[in-house]
Amino acid sequence: MSELPPTTSVKRWFVTTNHKDIGILYTITALFFLLFGGVLALLIRMQLWDPTSQILSGLAYNEAVTAHGLIMVFWFLSPFGFGFANYFVPLQIGADDLAFPRLNALSYWMYLFSGILLGISFFQGGTLDAGWTMYAPLNIPMYTPSIGSTGAVLALFMFVVGITASTVNFLTSIHHSRAEGMGIMDMPMFTWSMLATVWMMLFAFAALLAVGLILASDRVLGSVYFSATEGGSLLWGHLFWFFGHPEVYIVFFPALGVMLELFQTFSGRRLVGRKWVIIAICLISVQSFLVWMHHMFLTTINLEIKTLMMATTIGISLPFDLVVFSLIYTLIKGRIQFTTPFLFAFGALLLFILGGITGVFLGAIVLDYEFRGTYWVVAHFHYVMFGGATALFGGAYYWFPKVTGKMYDELLGKLHFVIFFISFNMVYFSMFLGWETPRRVFEYNPEFQIYHQFGTIGAFVLGLSFFIMFYNFAKSYVSGEPAGDNPWDYSRTAEWAVSSPPPLENWPNRPSYASGKLEFVKDYVPDGGPAVKADGDGNAATDGGDTHEEHISEYPYWDKHPSHASIWPFALSLALGIMLLGLSGFSESVTFVLGETVAQTSVEIANPIYPILAVVGLIGLIWTGVKWGLQDFYAPPTEFAERWPFEGVEKVKLGMWFFLASDVIVFGAFLSAAIFVRYNAGWMTWEPLTESLPGLINTFVLITSSFTVILALVAAHRKSRQGLLASLGSTIALGFVFLAIKMWEWNHEIFDRGVTINANAHGDPVQASIYYVTTGLHGIHVVIGLLIAIFLFVRAYQGHYLDDERPIEYFGLYWHFVDIVWVFIFPLFYLF
Amino acid sequence: MIDSLILQQGSGWRAQAEVFDEIFFVFLALGTLVGTIVVAYTLWNVYKYRDDGSEPKEDFDAPEVGELPTGQGGPKAKKLFLSFGLSAIVVISLVVYAYGILLYVEEGPDADGDNIEITVEGYQYGWDYEYPNGHTETGELIVPADTRIDIAVTSRDVWHNFGSSELRIKSDAIPGDTNTNWFSVSSEEVQAQGGEATYMVECFELCGPGHSAMNGQITVIPQDEWETWYEGTGGNSSNVEGGASVNGAANLNGAAVGGVSA
Repeated sequence: MSELPPTTSVKRWFVTTNHKDIGILYTITALFFLLFGGVLALLIRMQLWDPTSQILSGLAYNEAVTAHGLIMVFWFLSPFGFGFANYFVPLQIGADDLAFPRLNALSYWMYLFSGILLGISFFQGGTLDAGWTMYAPLNIPMYTPSIGSTGAVLALFMFVVGITASTVNFLTSIHHSRAEGMGIMDMPMFTWSMLATVWMMLFAFAALLAVGLILASDRVLGSVYFSATEGGSLLWGHLFWFFGHPEVYIVFFPALGVMLELFQTFSGRRLVGRKWVIIAICLISVQSFLVWMHHMFLTTINLEIKTLMMATTIGISLPFDLVVFSLIYTLIKGRIQFTTPFLFAFGALLLFILGGITGVFLGAIVLDYEFRGTYWVVAHFHYVMFGGATALFGGAYYWFPKVTGKMYDELLGKLHFVIFFISFNMVYFSMFLGWETPRRVFEYNPEFQIYHQFGTIGAFVLGLSFFIMFYNFAKSYVSGEPAGDNPWDYSRTAEWAVSSPPPLENWPNRPSYASGKLEFVKDYVPDGGPAVKADGDGNAATDGGDTHEEHISEYPYWDKHPSHASIWPFALSLALGIMLLGLSGFSESVTFVLGETVAQTSVEIANPIYPILAVVGLIGLIWTGVKWGLQDFYAPPTEFAERWPFEGVEKVKLGMWFFLASDVIVFGAFLSAAIFVRYNAGWMTWEPLTESLPGLINTFVLITSSFTVILALVAAHRKSRQGLLASLGSTIALGFVFLAIKMWEWNHEIFDRGVTINANAHGDPVQASIYYVTTGLHGIHVVIGLLIAIFLFVRAYQGHYLDDERPIEYFGLYWHFVDIVWVFIFPLFYLF
Repeated sequence: MIDSLILQQGSGWRAQAEVFDEIFFVFLALGTLVGTIVVAYTLWNVYKYRDDGSEPKEDFDAPEVGELPTGQGGPKAKKLFLSFGLSAIVVISLVVYAYGILLYVEEGPDADGDNIEITVEGYQYGWDYEYPNGHTETGELIVPADTRIDIAVTSRDVWHNFGSSELRIKSDAIPGDTNTNWFSVSSEEVQAQGGEATYMVECFELCGPGHSAMNGQITVIPQDEWETWYEGTGGNSSNVEGGASVNGAANLNGAAVGGVSA
């Protein structure tokens, strides 16, 4: 399974886990979504041509607006940047691949299938029509009833799951696999931008995952978070924008990274004030989480908080100022070459300056009051986000020779830039001129018709300009001039030190910067032992005898080849996609009729297709998960690497820590939601729904099970198979006890006390929703933990883990985390 | 800051539109100035330092593939901080200035208790208004000139946004939550518009398929006319259905005022 077919084979593209292949897949898929979102944009522009006539109904227009926003922000901008990141971050840091190659493939396939789900949602009675911001309560089925709306929400959920995997992967790779001698401050600027991006993503997307789960629960299970008048609407606003503002920088930073690279390469100058630019980037990443309420200045937030948010918002423009000035000063005294990539990067800077200045307007609250919900906002964020993406197109031209080995056509490239830049400003500058038009409205004041018509013409030109790029790339790929390894005069980063395209495992020998510049060193590998570090001269520290030649010509670590192929990422994503497709129509197809007891409760199935899909998908998910776990897949650890600040932390453990950090935010969002709604309802008006005793018993059960996991680890360490089986078995048993008590409790609530997910005989319905959904999320974590524990138990029975107890340790980390979460849930839902 | 102090003396009311126009002008002028300088400076330098094929200067130190980056100090970094400092001063003074205006806009003019409080409730797809005497109107809000009108905005179903571009007022209408705002129109303005000033109201937050057509109207009439009309309402609701369109509302207005004067 680990043999990778050649690139000409279709099979290769389904099984590949190589970062360069995945990068290509990401880039091509993202460009497809650019076209998809672009066609929707043109529909919008056609509707705006004449304020009195319309080609789309109000509903269809809203669907186009919503899908355009979702596709461009999620399915185009970020994945396009991640295409480059996949291909070039490992090359720039001197790694063979990302830390978890299969997980990387999984991220891609989740991205693709989530996009397919979104496409399918158009045919499920129409896709979501609540805007990409999905404000509550317009986002619940009462106001957006189509199955496709639920389909779109679940598509977004799946996208975020893939993104989370990708985030963990990049964080681990950049912190764990940098070549020897490449300190964190030495990383190329594109990699630095990506590092800041994934750090923001770790926390921001976790918030989106949480709010997406709550919305999916409202839509599929019928909970009532967002229809609650006890702050349901504002809850959405806070959670969405806590994600939404960092998201702006998440989509912009990859483009900024490309600008920082290209300005240096095409001016022959090193970045001015490099250290300060890095500090500014880090500052922005932190500050991005402190400004979200500036999207909500017109809500009922009080003046003090608004003023604080104004200050932080204006504050975040300052580090950006520094970055922009650094870019400008880098060009001075250079030898600037006006190649296509540079033109796009430079154009991006000009567009970003305009986007930034108009953003300062929005930071001033009084002006924001008037700009809110108008085309000023639309124009501003297109200048920032699409303006940023302009640099990404520059990146596409810049790296095209590296990826294909062929040179693109310079004349066609420049033609693309000229048409692109002019039509870009036609579309979006006209929006500033007609800014008083409310956004997402097509029956606007005829006074502004001239601006909108001008913009529509620009939009069509803008859209067509991309076909010049597609033609250029296609033609050059087939019959372009060979580009050579390094077509640029002043490139610095390591991807230009290898062939075009780079070999499968990237490097001729181990890359090292120990001497202050890139060298490829040969390591001496004793029989059956780990590699021995080469000395500083780039020679292996051996006597140079021929006896070791055999090992050296092989891959330098032990005798095992790294794996590059696995079908399971594709299969698992397919299964999840089918399950989510089934869930999208689940609530319309299945009705639970409550009786007096569980036995009297009946299930009415109106349409069997959706429930069947859901069940088939779930079974597939578990099956592919097991196959994944059993596959012998070898991703070699990097032997000599710079790991600041995580020296001494093993790769998988580091990944686990990153994953748990994001899960902390997910639960944090759920608990914050519970506290926020309860505060709005009047804190003291709520009594706990449940008795405290079952919760108390469950607290002891879980804490004990944490203890038995530690015993399992100790037993494995002592190579005691029986001890391992006994303590793992106890953990599993305790987990089942926990679930049994939970089931009893829910059964008691539903049938004895009349508390269901959307009805509460003792108070606010939303209190019942919060109780079921929060403890339910925790319960799902317990179930997943049990599935893993059972898998480990069976493998332990077969004799595994006695030589390498790390899987037990990593499972333990997860299990302890789930137990700690319970310690927060218990007082909130059982005591007070 | 000085402007805001004058504003708060209450000598003359400044409509929100007037305040907005001033601050917008200041930002636009400064933004254009800064933008033009930065872009022109950049373009000039890009042209000046283009690679024209001539021999590189002596101090030109071309980077190489595989080199580790070195942090640069020296004159360039100083220049960087100088520009950074300048832009910080511009931005921070703008914020301080904008904050003074914000306080006025939040507070509003002192009305000495002569203000009128009206509840605005958004729904798919229109606006209901409730006066202090319990009278309700749909679609059109009729208010007197020279009076501070306080609106309490909420929603019956989904999130809307009650806004009038001409009056420069805007408020989120959130279900389960009440948002406040104020406006006032001078009698001079009403006279200038022929005895009755009308302003279009639009919804500024996507609220469903009918969002585009979710319009309303604010009508301002002289104080005495308004008082006569208001007394005639007697706390009864006008049975107005579907008055969401501007034209429909305008017709109703004629009917309502005519009814009072008859």
